[in-house]
Amino acid sequence: MESPEQGHLQYISGGDEYTDEEEIKRQEDFATEKSKASAANKNYTILTEEDIFRRQGDAMASVCSVLSVSKTAACLLLHRYNWSANVVLEKWFASEESVRKAVGLLPESTNPVIGMSRSSSSSSFDEVLCRICFENFPPESFYSAACGHRFCESCWKSYIRTAINDGAGCLTLRCPETSCGGAAAVGLDMIGLLASREDRRKYNQFLLRSYVEENRNRKWCPSPGCAFAVEYHSAGGDDDGDDYNVTCNCSHSFCWNCTEESHRPVDCETLEKWKTKNDAESNNTQWIRINTKPCPQCNRPIEKNQGCNRIACLPPCKFQFCWLCLQNWSVHGYNSCNGYKSTTEKLRIATEEEINRKHFNRYTHFYERWASNENSKKKALLDLGRMDGQLEKLSEAQSQPKLMLDFVVEAWKQIVECRRILKWSYVYGYYLSEEEEESDVNVKLPLFVYLQGQAESGLERLHHCAEQELEQFIYGECNFEKFVDFRSKLKRLTRVTGNYFENLVGALKNGLSEVDSNGDHKRLRRR
Amino acid sequence: MQASRARLFKEYKEVQREKVADPDIQLVCDDSNIFKWTALIKGPSETPFEGGVFQLAFSVPEQYPLQPPQVRFLTKIFHPNVHFKTGEICLDILKNAWSPAWTLQSVCRAIIALMAHPEPDSPLNCDSGNLLRAGDVRGYQSMARMYTRLAAMPKKG
Ligand SMILES: [Zn+2]
Ligand SMILES: [Zn+2]
Ligand SMILES: [Zn+2]
Ligand SMILES: [Zn+2]
Repeated sequence: MESPEQGHLQYISGGDEYTDEEEIKRQEDFATEKSKASAANKNYTILTEEDIFRRQGDAMASVCSVLSVSKTAACLLLHRYNWSANVVLEKWFASEESVRKAVGLLPESTNPVIGMSRSSSSSSFDEVLCRICFENFPPESFYSAACGHRFCESCWKSYIRTAINDGAGCLTLRCPETSCGGAAAVGLDMIGLLASREDRRKYNQFLLRSYVEENRNRKWCPSPGCAFAVEYHSAGGDDDGDDYNVTCNCSHSFCWNCTEESHRPVDCETLEKWKTKNDAESNNTQWIRINTKPCPQCNRPIEKNQGCNRIACLPPCKFQFCWLCLQNWSVHGYNSCNGYKSTTEKLRIATEEEINRKHFNRYTHFYERWASNENSKKKALLDLGRMDGQLEKLSEAQSQPKLMLDFVVEAWKQIVECRRILKWSYVYGYYLSEEEEESDVNVKLPLFVYLQGQAESGLERLHHCAEQELEQFIYGECNFEKFVDFRSKLKRLTRVTGNYFENLVGALKNGLSEVDSNGDHKRLRRR
Repeated sequence: MQASRARLFKEYKEVQREKVADPDIQLVCDDSNIFKWTALIKGPSETPFEGGVFQLAFSVPEQYPLQPPQVRFLTKIFHPNVHFKTGEICLDILKNAWSPAWTLQSVCRAIIALMAHPEPDSPLNCDSGNLLRAGDVRGYQSMARMYTRLAAMPKKG
């Protein structure tokens, strides 16, 4: 097992302008700055059902009081104008008449009663004909919306039940009288009176959903079974609209724009392109083994059931190797193997078959690493999910209060996030390498490979430490000094890896312009 | 089921009484099945359908009148909102604008109104819709009149 010191020195390979201490200091400053900035500029809000309910209530209260209308009227108005009280007021004062018409609110002067009115006219004891069931009933069993068109209670009930069970259209339900022409809305008050308990619950659910679904700035979290909604505050001006990254309180991270899993650092179009490419190649990539491979030394099949790529074969072989490139670990170490080395020579004219082979090799290089990181991310999510129980054990084994073990959870969250970024960075790499291969230049790719390699190597250390070294403390003996070392190592790895990934994402966001402007990048330019 | 049967029975009785009242519509209930009706409607005057008699077939669902009946033309008709082969009708009240206060009788009236005022923007018969949209009213009318003569008028001996 390598000592923490050895591990530490590796992070700054290539960072020749800094000493260890300065590097750490610099990255710490960077991290604090960054978290301050992101807290202030967080461009979205997570909403629970209670939040939505409260906001709807507040909006209704304000519309009621400003316009002196009933709660039913306020609800109809707000539903029509995307639940924005401001828009309601603006439209209302611009043209009350057309707003009333749009939502089915009759003018007060025509009929002072908005909503339901139990019919009281029809002086005599004459029965009244219901124009739906064509049955006669005493006048008091009739109801009507504000327009006064009367139908019997039973017909109203089935009318409302059918509408609610037909879907969200019930929120714009109108009087059923054909000559009424939809002039009078059937709103909250009548629903409250004439719908069953279960249907009222459904109606309220539609109202709640309409708050999210009828506004372009709100969406439900796409994670299955998650009940949170996200409100996106569109980035103002200078931000070139790129920060679509949203993390829900359920811990699912997704892209606001396309609602796919977060795919920093590639954009939505690239993601689509990549998915299409994978579908097209699926017959050719079936043979790629993501989870099982033969041991490069003894040939026994090895199933990968861990997240990090440093794999050891079972005894007696015990051969350690890198899962991705199969190289002996004693040679490979934490050097990255992310770069793709083109094989064909450029000097002679290649046959079409050779070109196809070359393209395919390039694709599989990136595809395999993309898929492998997805698997590692999935595994890490599982581990994160059962971390609470693990910490319980760790707390016992090392006599540490559980409160002090939060750094382990932080580490795992960082691993999940970084695996995802790393995964998508391979898609970036694929298209970058394609671009450079086609235009026969080699300018940005080396910088990309360097930054990605740094990030990947940091992540492999972090993942190994959180996965395998942690186990030794959970199931091993209590050793305070070793544990303190472990803690500082894991914390440091978490922080440093986070920074490497921010660097990577930042550089890709700028289209690796560092190379563009300098023309040649001192450390990286290769010929 | 019981409610729809009761309601249809009321309509049946109403139709018997109103037969004289609306000479343009003749609604008949199937002898053995109260959920199947046919109607004969007169083509409205001052339209290419004038002088024709058109047969409609009604199929009433069990959830009637909460759900609309299915109606189609049995007589061939050249009209932008009627499918030329199947006789299917595109009319909002037979779909999302349905209300239980409509009756089979008033649906017939709505179909007569549709014959007089076609809506070329939601065509089921594209040829006919295209003629109207292109502003070729004459072309539309002569085609429609031809089909009225061919399909909707009693053959003279
Ligand atoms: Zn009734
Ligand atoms: Zn009404
Ligand atoms: Zn969620
Ligand atoms: Zn996206």
